[in-house]
Parts: sequence; C-alpha cells; structure tokens
Amino acid sequence: MIAKSITRFLIGILFCTGMQSLFAQDKSESYRIETIPMPDGLTSETGAVEFLPDGRLVACFTRGEVMTYEPSTKKWKLFAEGFHDPLGILVISNSELLVIQRPELTRVKDTDDDGIADLYEKVSDDFGISGNYHEFNYGPVKDKDGNLFISLNSSSGAGNIRLIVRGEINPLGRENGSNGQMFSNVPYRGWVMKLSPDGVLKPIASGFRSPNGIGFDLDGNLFATDNQGDWIGTSALHHVQEGKFYGHPGSLVWQKGWNKGNPFLLPLSVLDSMRTRGAVLFPHGIIANSPTQPLCDRTEGKFGPFSGQLLVGEMNNERIVRVMLERVGGELQGACLPFFEGNGLRKGNNRLAFGPDGSLWIGQNSHGWLGDQGIQRLAFTGKQPADILNMNLTEKGFELTFTQPLDESTATNLSNYKFSHYYYKYQSLYGSDQFDKQNVPVTQVEISNDRKKISLTLSSLKPGYVYELSLGTIKTSNGDDLANKIICYTLNKLKAGTF
Amino acid sequence: MKPYKKIIVFTFLVFSVNQLFANQIADTVSIVKINVLVGLQFDQVRFHVKPGQKVKLIFSNSDDMSHNLLITKPGSRLEIVNEALQLGEKGPSMDYIPKSASVLWSIPVVNPNQTQTLNFIAPQQPGVYPYVCTLPGHGFIMFGAMYVNADGNMPELKNDLNIPENRRLDNNSALNIQHNEHKVNEEKKIITAKPLHPYTPVSPYLYRVFIEGASPAALAVSLPGNLSYCWDASVCKLSFAWSGGFLDNSELWRGKGDALAKVVGTLFFRDKTEFPLSIGNHDGIQVVDYKGYSLINRYPEFHYTLNGFDVYELIMPNNNGTGLIRKFRIPGGNKIVWFNTNPTDGVSYLSSAGKWKNGKLKLLPKQAKDFSITMSRKEGGLL
Repeated sequence: MIAKSITRFLIGILFCTGMQSLFAQDKSESYRIETIPMPDGLTSETGAVEFLPDGRLVACFTRGEVMTYEPSTKKWKLFAEGFHDPLGILVISNSELLVIQRPELTRVKDTDDDGIADLYEKVSDDFGISGNYHEFNYGPVKDKDGNLFISLNSSSGAGNIRLIVRGEINPLGRENGSNGQMFSNVPYRGWVMKLSPDGVLKPIASGFRSPNGIGFDLDGNLFATDNQGDWIGTSALHHVQEGKFYGHPGSLVWQKGWNKGNPFLLPLSVLDSMRTRGAVLFPHGIIANSPTQPLCDRTEGKFGPFSGQLLVGEMNNERIVRVMLERVGGELQGACLPFFEGNGLRKGNNRLAFGPDGSLWIGQNSHGWLGDQGIQRLAFTGKQPADILNMNLTEKGFELTFTQPLDESTATNLSNYKFSHYYYKYQSLYGSDQFDKQNVPVTQVEISNDRKKISLTLSSLKPGYVYELSLGTIKTSNGDDLANKIICYTLNKLKAGTF
Repeated sequence: MKPYKKIIVFTFLVFSVNQLFANQIADTVSIVKINVLVGLQFDQVRFHVKPGQKVKLIFSNSDDMSHNLLITKPGSRLEIVNEALQLGEKGPSMDYIPKSASVLWSIPVVNPNQTQTLNFIAPQQPGVYPYVCTLPGHGFIMFGAMYVNADGNMPELKNDLNIPENRRLDNNSALNIQHNEHKVNEEKKIITAKPLHPYTPVSPYLYRVFIEGASPAALAVSLPGNLSYCWDASVCKLSFAWSGGFLDNSELWRGKGDALAKVVGTLFFRDKTEFPLSIGNHDGIQVVDYKGYSLINRYPEFHYTLNGFDVYELIMPNNNGTGLIRKFRIPGGNKIVWFNTNPTDGVSYLSSAGKWKNGKLKLLPKQAKDFSITMSRKEGGLL
C-alpha cells in the first residue's frame, strides 16, 4: 500500500518536474520506450521477465504470481501462484519453468494442458535460509553443458536470523566482528552456486554481498553484479570463475576447509590478496548505484549496433547501463556507460529480457528500496544511434570506436576529451570515496580514415584505477550530438608493452 | 473502529509534539533526533522550533543504504533535489550537496549505522523549512519539514502538504488481512480496500511464507470453511492448523519483507511429535527429503521421502468442518508404518485403517499404501 502510494507520488512528481539529469539526451529517435499495461489488482513488483518459445512474455511478481502476457492481444493470464519472492525464471517450454524463490529452486509445470501449473517440484534447496529478509536468491541461468547457476544474497546485519532456520548455523563472522555488516550464518549465503545435471548443488565462487543479476556473454563467460555497500566500494560486474573470492568476507566461513577463523577479523591485506576485482566497476552516483541483471545482446542487430555487449539494469536511476568488455592480460575488463536514460524509462530496472522481435523488456521493482513497478519495453527504431560503440585499452591510452563517422574538427580537438582517474578503496566501510582523483591529460588524438575510431594518448596509465572520460561537444559527420558524454573504463591490467 | 483509530493517532501526535516541546525550553538547545525508516523515509517527517532557537539535529542512519540531510530555504526542496541530480559524476565527491544559497545547512553522506550531528540556530524568519536527502532519486520522497514559528503551529498531519504524501495517512495494516473465501468478517468490520492479487484467491490456495512457529521454508494453505494450515517443507510435516481466517501478509509484503505473515484466527492444532510417521523401527532416525507438491483440484498434495520411501500427503477440511482430514499414500512401502500423535496437540483422531495403541496408529504395509487420518478439534481444546 505504501509502496503504491510512494510510486504514484513519485510518478506525479516526475511528470511535474520532468526529472532532468546530466545524461538525459534525447535518444528517442533511436530507441522508443513503451509501458506495458499491467492487470488490475496486481502489485507489479517484477521479479523476472522472460519469453516462452511461443512468444508470450512470462513474468513473476513479489506476491508470488507467475503470469503470461500475449503482446498481440495485450492479455495477461495467471500461470502459477504462491511463490515466496520469486526473482528469477528459466524457461524450459511453453508449459514448464524453473523459478527461483526464497526457499528453493522450483520446477513449475502444467502437466494436464489446462494452461495452469499444477506441479511445483523442488529442483534444489541444498542451501541455508535463516529467515533474514536480505536472503534473496537469483537465477537460474544455464550453460551449454546444462549446468544451472544461481546466486545467493548475503544476510543483512540490519536484520536478524529466525529461531528456526534451514541448514547448519555457523555464527562465525557475525558474533564479534561483523559490526552490522552483511553476514553468512547459514550455508552459501554470498555464493554463486552451480547445479549440475546430476542434481548436485555446489558452491563455486564466494564474496558476494547482493548479486542481484547473473548472466552469460556470447562466449559463455558467467557474470554477476554486486551492489555497493560494506566491503564493496562501488557496485561491480564480476566475471564469475570457479574457486574465486570477490571481496565480501562473510561468505568465506563456508569455504571448504576454512581454518582462518572469523573472516571479518583477517588483516585487510590478506583479504585483498585473496580477492578478484570487478571486471567493470560502476562508479557510484555516476553510472549505477544498484545494478541488476547483466543481459547479453544476442539480437544480432535487431536491438541496434551493440550486439554481443551486456546491458545491465539499474534500480536507482531511470537508466539502462551498457558494458563493453575486452580481454587484457588474460582477464576480462572494460567500460560502462549510461546506455538509455529517462525519456519515459522508469527506475527500478530489475530484470531484462529480449523479446522475439529484438526489443528489450524491462521488469521493474523497488522492494522497499528505490525503484518503480511494472514492465516497460525498449525498442530500436532503426535509426542508428550516435554513440560510443567500444572503448579499448591501448599501450598508450585508449581507442574509442563510434557507431558513426565523426565530424573531424570537433573529434580531433584535444579539449573535447577530459580524463580523470580514481580508485575505490577495499575496506569494511559502507562504500568508498574516490581516492587519488586526478585529471589525466590527453596528449594526442588521432582519427582513423573512416572517422569512426579515435586513438587517445594519455600522459600516464595506472592499473587499479577507473578512467572516467567526459566528452565535449563532438559531432558526427551528420552534425548529430553524441548520445553519451561519459564512459568509465576499469583498468585492472595494462596492455603488455605499455610505455 | 475507524474513529477510534483516529483518536489513537491524534493522541499519539499530541504526545510526540509534547515530547518535542519538552526539549524546547527557551534559550536552551532543542534536540531533534531523526532516523531512517524502510522505504526511503525519515522517521520524523516534521518538527517545530522557535525562531532563533539553538537546534541540535542528530541524524542516525538506521537504513541499509547511505543518506544525507539538507535543510533548504522555504519552497526550495525540488530545486535543490534537481540541482543535486545535475551534479552527475561530481555528486559523490560533493556528498550530493549542490552549491546553492538555498541550502541553509547540510549533513554530508551518512553511511548505514552511523550518526552525525548538526548544530545550527533556527532562522529568525518564521516559515516551513524543508529537509531532504539529495542522493539520486531519494529527494522526491525522502523529506520532511522544519516548522519555525513562535507558537508551535503545524497543520493537521493529514493536511500537511509539506510532508510526504504517504505519511499524511493513517497506515491501516488491517486493510490487507486475508480471509478465506474473502468473507467480510462482520465482527471486525474488515473491508478489503485494495485487491491483493489480480484475481480473487479462492480456497484452497497457498503461499510460501515466513510465518511464526515454522522454518523459513514454510507453506501456508487456506482451505474452504475458514480452515488453514502451515506445512513446513524443511521438516516435511503439518506444523499447525487454525480456523477463523488465513493470513495477514501486510507486513511481509511491505518494503523489504523483514517481517512474518500473521496468522488470522485461532490455532487448534500443533504437531508435537518428533515426526508424525515412522517407517519400520519407529524409534530409529527418520530422514526426510522434501520433493514438492502437485495441485489436485487446487489442493496441494505434498511429496517427500521418509527414509527413502515416497510419501504423499493431501490435507482437506474434515466432513463436519471441525478439523482436517489428512490423506496419506506410501505406495512403495514394505514395512510397518506408525502414525504418531501427542495428547496435547489439540485434536482427537480417527483413522481409515490400522490399530491405535497409546496414541500411535499401527498400519500394515498394505494399509499404509493409502490411508487417512481425521483430526477434529477437541471441545475447549484451544491451544
């Protein structure tokens, strides 16, 4: 009730003020947002959106409904009900889904062909739940070998654990030392889990605080986002690899053979040496404050020129973020920018799915934090956007690739490229300031023959820093403004041969 | 009921206003404490101080995200919120505080579980001075009003346009109470103000919920005849049953879900056995594994294994509505099955097969393939 009135109020305000923002370029010519009508009486806090083979949308909602939507008739229909905070769907067929909810991963199936699910079968519940409100579960996503992956939130220090829990209790890390930070008192909170086709659920990667979003790229690399907070200086996209630890200590108590005691009390340098850094950091307050699902653009151009890149939802802003990755020194790293902003897009962008026509469907949610409710659809109009297509590290700086040829005079003007760098500290505190923030002079700019590539030479490059680039007034050769004027590259590793 | 509620709210207001006044003896410091509630709200959405009074504002961030607090000139809140948004990438390093003459005082970003104090002298000019969190997006809903005047006047809460809309209302959680078959309870005059779902749930139906007295993997099922039960998937058993209503999920569904569903009605059964079924040696360890449920005419039939044997349990109202009938199937059993009870569990038992001895029902493997247990509430047997 409150959420609804807040939302109404928010929407009211947004229309009144026109909610401006730094990046609110008018991109409506390349992409158009459409709001999907929701059924009366539905509290449309959207936990997942996916598509069935027959082209219908399937979505689940906080109060436990799973519903389908036929885009051609705009008709909603109930498929299943009773789930506890369902936050992920994997479609098996038109009549069968896997749904992740608080207590388990569930197979839900219509076995008698009446359009309503009648089988709710446990697929796996081989992880703990303490009843702590923050124990949300996400996924599943499937790899080419049929393994499923889910991610489990850490438990919140702002909440408690119940008297009756499911799973073994290990209070290590909560009593004496976590100071109200996220914790993991029951198995595998803060882990990414792998369910092999033989039904065994195995913890594979630790150190997650709130991995609300998990997905693959075209090459089968697995990614999960994590949310700024204690131990997480700024939100990140992690390349999830088996055996790695991604920074939040709470989950370490469930590492096989863990014998180092309370992980929160380990020296920071020890934890830091164990951790794998985010492949891409989302600078807080600049790119994203609460990133969600990473979804790979597999539309082969139906959604525009960004095929193969990742789109990431953002809860706190009216924004979808775009991520471009490259392999440097054997590891993935890359850049992020605000891909689509405002222009009717709401906040709370929790779940993403491409429809059969290549349009992006966005499920929105707030769940007591900042956000909105409902579902929107973002469609490519066919007009090529004027935007940064790619940002790549070079030995002496960066190479930018654009979607369109640039106007040479503005594009070769050094003063149109302002770089700063900074880093986020790995620390127990909630979030991190930007440290050692400095301008990095651009000493040379070169344009390619096709005027789509710009090579920038920087006075220095330092690993472990975010390189934030602000673009001035650069025009395309058609005289259009660029859609984005800011892009942030996470420089974990330098190219061999740098300087 | 309704006017009564208003009186309570009004009394509470007078009380809290008085409390504030108690801190405001002339020429002394007025101490104002502001915390954060779930859903981007200050716990205090307004307070009063006198012109020129010394104020000590203690801002404690009890939320799980960061916030700041700015006090602006009257009528300048939205202008400041938008200027804070315009800071863009400079926002974090500036604590989202725009450089503006309309910002009178500010507390920079306060992280969760931290407290910061602001001392200032209230303006001489009477007026309504907004305070607001200007982190991106927060400022449109997370604000309050400082009333500066000599006499302590503030409008009635419900008419106060200077506070967030949702805080002008009296939050009536009873509006979300769910009754089986959506009957209006005449006695309590509960009216379902807003639908809970895009359909009207018709019993039987269920929720997986957090509920008192069961593990976090519980199911709550509403049956026809105003009967309900909780079946706990962690331990694979009927944990308790009640009559007279179903659930109040209003707290559970509000905000982050840091709450339990509330039982509406009266408990008449609570399982007090180690486990209601034993297979073979009934003193041995019973290992259960939850498998799921099928809906049969919308009634869930639970499936689990007990020491490796498949067990199915389907629960319906009994014939006269005084309790439940539990239909068990153990199709592959080849051992004696015991059904265990406890004399203080609130119900009396009848079975379709087997022999009772000292509160235990003994079933031969053939009988255990398909049997039912009828549980009827004992006279005066309220739990």
